[in-house]
Amino acid sequence: MNLFQTLINRRRFLQSSAAVGASAGAVTAGISGLTGLAPTKEARAQSPRGDTVVTKNVCAQCPARCGIDVYTTDGRVHAIYGTSDNPIANGKLCPKGHLGTYFLYDPDRFKGPMKRTNPNKGRDEDPGFVPISWEEALDTVAERLNDLRRREESHRFAMFYGRGWGASDAGIQYPFGELYGTPNAAIGHSSMCADGSKKAKHVTDGNNSYSSYDYANTNYLLIMGASFLEAFRPYNYVMQQWGHMRTKSPKTRVTTVDVRMSPTMAASDRALYIKPGTDGAFALAVAHVILTEGLWDREFVGDFEHDGQRFVAGRRIGASAFDEKWVHGLTDWWNEELKDRTPEWAEDVTGIKAADIRRTAMEFGSTRPAIALFERGATGHSNGTYNGMAIHSLNALVGSLFAEGGLGYQVGPSYGELPVKVEDYARNGAWKDQPRLDMKGTDKWPMAGNMMQECAQNHLDADPYTLDTAMFYYTNPIWTAPNPQVWEEALKDVFVIDTSPFPGETAMYADIVLPDCTYLERTQDVPTYPFEGWPMAELRVPAVEPIYDTKMYGDVIIELGKRIEGPMGDYYRELGNLENYIRHLAAGFADDPGDNGVDGFDSWKEKGVWYKKPYRWRLIRGEFYEWDGERYGRQMSEEEVKEHLFKTPSGKFEVNSGYLQEHAEYIERELGIPRDRVGLVQWVEPVHTGGDGDLHLVTPKTPMHAEGRGANLPHNIAIHQPIVGGSGTVYLEVHPQTARERGIGNGDRVRIVSDIGSIEAECRFVAAHRPDTLVLPFEFGHWAQGRWAKGRGPGNSSEVTANRSDPISGLASYYTGKVRLERA
Amino acid sequence: MAKWGMVIDLDKCTGCQACTTACSMENNTLPGESWQDVLYYVEGENPSGQMKWLPRPCMQCENPSCVHVCPTRATYKDEDAGGIVFVDWNRCIGCKYCMIACPYGVRFYADEKPLVEPDIREAFPGENGQLWSPPYQNPEEDYRRGIGIQPAGVVSKCTFCYHKVRHAPEGIADLDEEDPDLKEYVPACVRTCAPKARYFGDLDNPESRVNQLIGDKHGVRLKDHTGNKPQVYYLGAGAGVPAFTPADRETDA
Amino acid sequence: MITSNSRPNALQGTLGWLLLVVAAAVLVASLGYAFSQLAAEGHASFNTSSRLPWGQPIATYLYFALASSGLGLVASLPLVFGFKQYYPIAKRCIFLAFIVLISGMTVLAMELGHVFRMLWAIPTGLQTQSAMFWMGVFYALDLLFLLWKFSKLQGGEWDSKTSKQLGIASFIGVLLASGNLALIFGMMSMRPFWFDALMPIYFYFTGVTSGVAALVFFVYLAHGFRRDAMPSALQSLLTGALPKLFAALIGGTLLFIAVRAITGLYSNNPEVNLVWTDYLFASPLYIAALLLGLLLPFALLLSSSIRNRVDIQVLTACLVFLGLFAERFYFVVGGQVVPLFKGTWAPDLIEYAPSTTEWALTLSGVSLCFVLYLLGEKLLNLGDMPRQEPDQRQTEQPAVAT
Repeated sequence: MNLFQTLINRRRFLQSSAAVGASAGAVTAGISGLTGLAPTKEARAQSPRGDTVVTKNVCAQCPARCGIDVYTTDGRVHAIYGTSDNPIANGKLCPKGHLGTYFLYDPDRFKGPMKRTNPNKGRDEDPGFVPISWEEALDTVAERLNDLRRREESHRFAMFYGRGWGASDAGIQYPFGELYGTPNAAIGHSSMCADGSKKAKHVTDGNNSYSSYDYANTNYLLIMGASFLEAFRPYNYVMQQWGHMRTKSPKTRVTTVDVRMSPTMAASDRALYIKPGTDGAFALAVAHVILTEGLWDREFVGDFEHDGQRFVAGRRIGASAFDEKWVHGLTDWWNEELKDRTPEWAEDVTGIKAADIRRTAMEFGSTRPAIALFERGATGHSNGTYNGMAIHSLNALVGSLFAEGGLGYQVGPSYGELPVKVEDYARNGAWKDQPRLDMKGTDKWPMAGNMMQECAQNHLDADPYTLDTAMFYYTNPIWTAPNPQVWEEALKDVFVIDTSPFPGETAMYADIVLPDCTYLERTQDVPTYPFEGWPMAELRVPAVEPIYDTKMYGDVIIELGKRIEGPMGDYYRELGNLENYIRHLAAGFADDPGDNGVDGFDSWKEKGVWYKKPYRWRLIRGEFYEWDGERYGRQMSEEEVKEHLFKTPSGKFEVNSGYLQEHAEYIERELGIPRDRVGLVQWVEPVHTGGDGDLHLVTPKTPMHAEGRGANLPHNIAIHQPIVGGSGTVYLEVHPQTARERGIGNGDRVRIVSDIGSIEAECRFVAAHRPDTLVLPFEFGHWAQGRWAKGRGPGNSSEVTANRSDPISGLASYYTGKVRLERA
Repeated sequence: MAKWGMVIDLDKCTGCQACTTACSMENNTLPGESWQDVLYYVEGENPSGQMKWLPRPCMQCENPSCVHVCPTRATYKDEDAGGIVFVDWNRCIGCKYCMIACPYGVRFYADEKPLVEPDIREAFPGENGQLWSPPYQNPEEDYRRGIGIQPAGVVSKCTFCYHKVRHAPEGIADLDEEDPDLKEYVPACVRTCAPKARYFGDLDNPESRVNQLIGDKHGVRLKDHTGNKPQVYYLGAGAGVPAFTPADRETDA
Repeated sequence: MITSNSRPNALQGTLGWLLLVVAAAVLVASLGYAFSQLAAEGHASFNTSSRLPWGQPIATYLYFALASSGLGLVASLPLVFGFKQYYPIAKRCIFLAFIVLISGMTVLAMELGHVFRMLWAIPTGLQTQSAMFWMGVFYALDLLFLLWKFSKLQGGEWDSKTSKQLGIASFIGVLLASGNLALIFGMMSMRPFWFDALMPIYFYFTGVTSGVAALVFFVYLAHGFRRDAMPSALQSLLTGALPKLFAALIGGTLLFIAVRAITGLYSNNPEVNLVWTDYLFASPLYIAALLLGLLLPFALLLSSSIRNRVDIQVLTACLVFLGLFAERFYFVVGGQVVPLFKGTWAPDLIEYAPSTTEWALTLSGVSLCFVLYLLGEKLLNLGDMPRQEPDQRQTEQPAVAT
């Protein structure tokens, strides 16, 4: 496709300059600064080189999954823009998206498979990688796996993943584990990501998932610890909606509660600075005001039996005085918890003035539709799930769940069946009796989805067993895990296979490197993250053939599978290759064509996305309806609501959680909550880590955090810092008073110390932050990753972060550490 | 001929810098050579501190002081190109006087110490007269308008993506990226702006959306007292740039 | 060693050769270093940046250009205005003005991105709105007139009509060139530290001051730092009008700096105020340059008892020489240190200290100046003066120099 016509418009000065230039003679000194007597040799005027081709892809720098148009001319990718007819991107991108070209042309990329020659592992050990063929690399790994299985130790092989895109990459690990015989085939990083918000929803409304949001129609946003305008997913779409919300009629009003100054706080109508870990107290006080002021949604929540009854602070209500509709346990909640959670009480806990809490509650309770959303800021603490529950309960009180302008949950795509079934090949053996290495699902972590952060210590303790071989996909725990020092020790005697295209810290421990292609070179299915709720699946189409000798991860797994003994090899031979796999997924669209006409692999490839609007369910005036093809016309029964929407024991939104009650003994043991109270949405004191530190340390994700690669993108580095200090450096941001008390001047080098380690940074004064809270955006402090990242300060915040997790969600408490600050 | 103008609505802008990166990749600028940049201002103290931000392209002034000072006419305002201010890389002698004279700090002399070490110019050394030659390159090049990757020793600046804008249909009032037929002609920063805080159109056309917005929302021009008369207008709160204050004195009583 | 009667000038002997070799060596080394750095790294070898584009090379150029103008103005005292007591230094002044300007332009050439392109781009651009265009025109004329005038003097034509007219033309050329150079800064309303309608007067003052400093130093150098080796007319100039003029000029310079400082300190505008409080007066070097480079010489020269002493005159010349170089540097950098348009985004003043390449350029400017000067003293009779004046050489004592 020739995008641009070549139009040569000659203009005034331009002609004369060339003419004069041409007659000026030809003396060229070979050095800069003295060249130029001769004009530039070529005309260099308005002449695009070559034809430009646009391919569809999906950005891979955060989980948002923005559809991108990749512009390639003469085999070189040179521009990336959002895809116009992609429902997330809508032609737009966030700041990271455009820099995707750098992923492809990163000069530090792994250029082909390699093996280690230096048996010693450590920060300062050069791995001594030497290139090998794919054949040798795959054979080596397969031989090791076959050997391990022959010894009946197949469970000692683990596959870790971070960003799983879809069925054709991380999704492919599950069957591999089943077939090979390990419970550890898909240990995800979700417990180091944001499992807290999923769990808070799981225990209250039964959906173990992030929410989808109808921002376009909401009139109030209460944002808590979510970095909404920096890192909330899908960031690009969130910003598009921000532009809409803030200019529509009526304008969406925004209150943000966070522990630090941030673009979100700055752009909100009201910014409230909260003491870290106390978000639940704030939300409970808001709920308290909503009830005492009679602002709850009666059609959804229910109402008193008799007129004239109301909630009065400190006073119980009768056991059957309140007629609950879609909210389960409200009476208990009020009587056992909420009646005393006044704004004045919350002021003491949160540090936010009672008047501000009351004002927020009055607004939130009286503006419909309203959404309360939260993320790791609220849930990255020992009490994270309870904090999240309290915030999420506000959505129930104002009737936002599944409502227009409210929130819902994501529906998966209509994928086709694979040509082979795991059951046909799966090997049953002794491994079935082994727990997962991370002890997820055991009495240690009964409710968690993953516990990747536990694996290093468990391996070192040989409890439940030690690892033999570990394969990493899109995850770099040696750097990202809390207290990663333990991982540095643990992986020393593990055979490590890394699949990153880039030289991350985990790759420096690799015995074999099987480099993946970058996303601009991949074919990959990408079902959407929670977004607007209706199903959507995108497809990565390579813009260029792999520019180095790399192989897509999905193909690596298939090729490995073919080399495993027994029926497993047959399974993968049957599967063939990745494209075949994806073609089978796409076959499902034939029976359920997308709104844009996508009905199979080829049309999917052309459009880059399959989707079907609208969202299937809707709450209207206290009743649930299903889309009947033309409108939300079919009312749902309670059973249907329980099946599709509120998947809780009661089939309702539970402010007294039946799920938690099932784990009462565990919760009492871990959190000290009396077992008869564990189900209640309630205030739980956070337990901070870090030893005797007197300052909170928060380590926010910034808009430029490019899925772990930001530190090696020069343009990213140049503009990384969103708040202070110009460009090129990330600073520790500290309130001037806090610094001066410690004899620290603006710009000084400081040391941040916790009980597990210390890191250094340059500090900058930001008086807008809380005096008791230090802010250090994480990204830098790498000891590998590439020429730009390596050694770039400040230090890695994980190294002062204890490995402590919320017992319920399993989410690592990244934001709960306390530290000391001193001059370096 | 149109007079191209940009409108930036600060009430919608989220300060994300997508404009900055879109520009740097579209125009292949060096890290830190941000033809388009976003500046952040922090003022006040917790709990009532404030932060503002200001996306800042070249203002393409109606009365550009940079053009007046250029001894060689290398930098010029091209009324035939919608009033965009260009640098002719065949004429620029690198005296940097225009950088002194620009009140907005939007001109760059990329032949300087790298902002980010190691120097990316060493990773992608210059070929064919370019200061550096990354493997990705916009195929468009026009030295007489400062489009492409610059040679050493010249000043570079925002061109309103003239290599795109020049294809715009004659007489069009606004270049709206939401129109699939127009999106390729829209400047990169405008095209990618997620909250749609940027608009691009003809300031000479009273019917244009940009003029409507300027009228309805009281558009202001930055540093208007300089008399440079930017063709970039700002809407909403936050267009005031706080005076420079050394950071360690900000909270001095 | 002792020079003969027929060699009245200390530098025409072995000393001159020695100094010439040293200066040439420094020139070759510094220029070579600067060249190699520029060849290897381009202007990345400078510590200037897009935020602070003009650094020490520009300050060096400015220093030389204004010293040249100052010398030209001093030369006009006898040649245009008929102050005959200045005749003994007139020719040296014109020569020094010429070579100092050449040295300054050499430094500037290395600072520009495309110096040779300038040769065609400025004339063809004809951008008459640009002060820098006029700088090119006026300094080209200045250079031409200086050369022409010098050739007249060299030919012994002191008082011919052409010579007179040339003197006037050169005088006007100098005024225009340096005045216009001042406007390059003074007209920049977006740089409030520089924005000043009286900037040309300030430049004239400081220019003449640095010119006189150079003159005094070089005159003494030429005579082996021995006044008794000088012609009597020169001696009487150095014990009469010149030191007083020098004192007055330093005083005027100080006054100018003082009123600029007071205005700047009084102003609320941080782009002026902060330059004084946080940059200039926060810099020990700047304060030292003010106190030692201007105030001390001024005080010394005020005293009639010591201002005629050779050592005092040489010392003040050197001090003023250095003091005004610092003044130029801080003037050029000071106009840029406050981050333009950055508000609180930039937390500090822009830091700038010259790189070794930039120092090498300054050094090559100075050494080039010395080389040319020494050649001048060797090959051209710089101490010459009109014939109708008493021939000083007959009364001259043998000069001794070491």
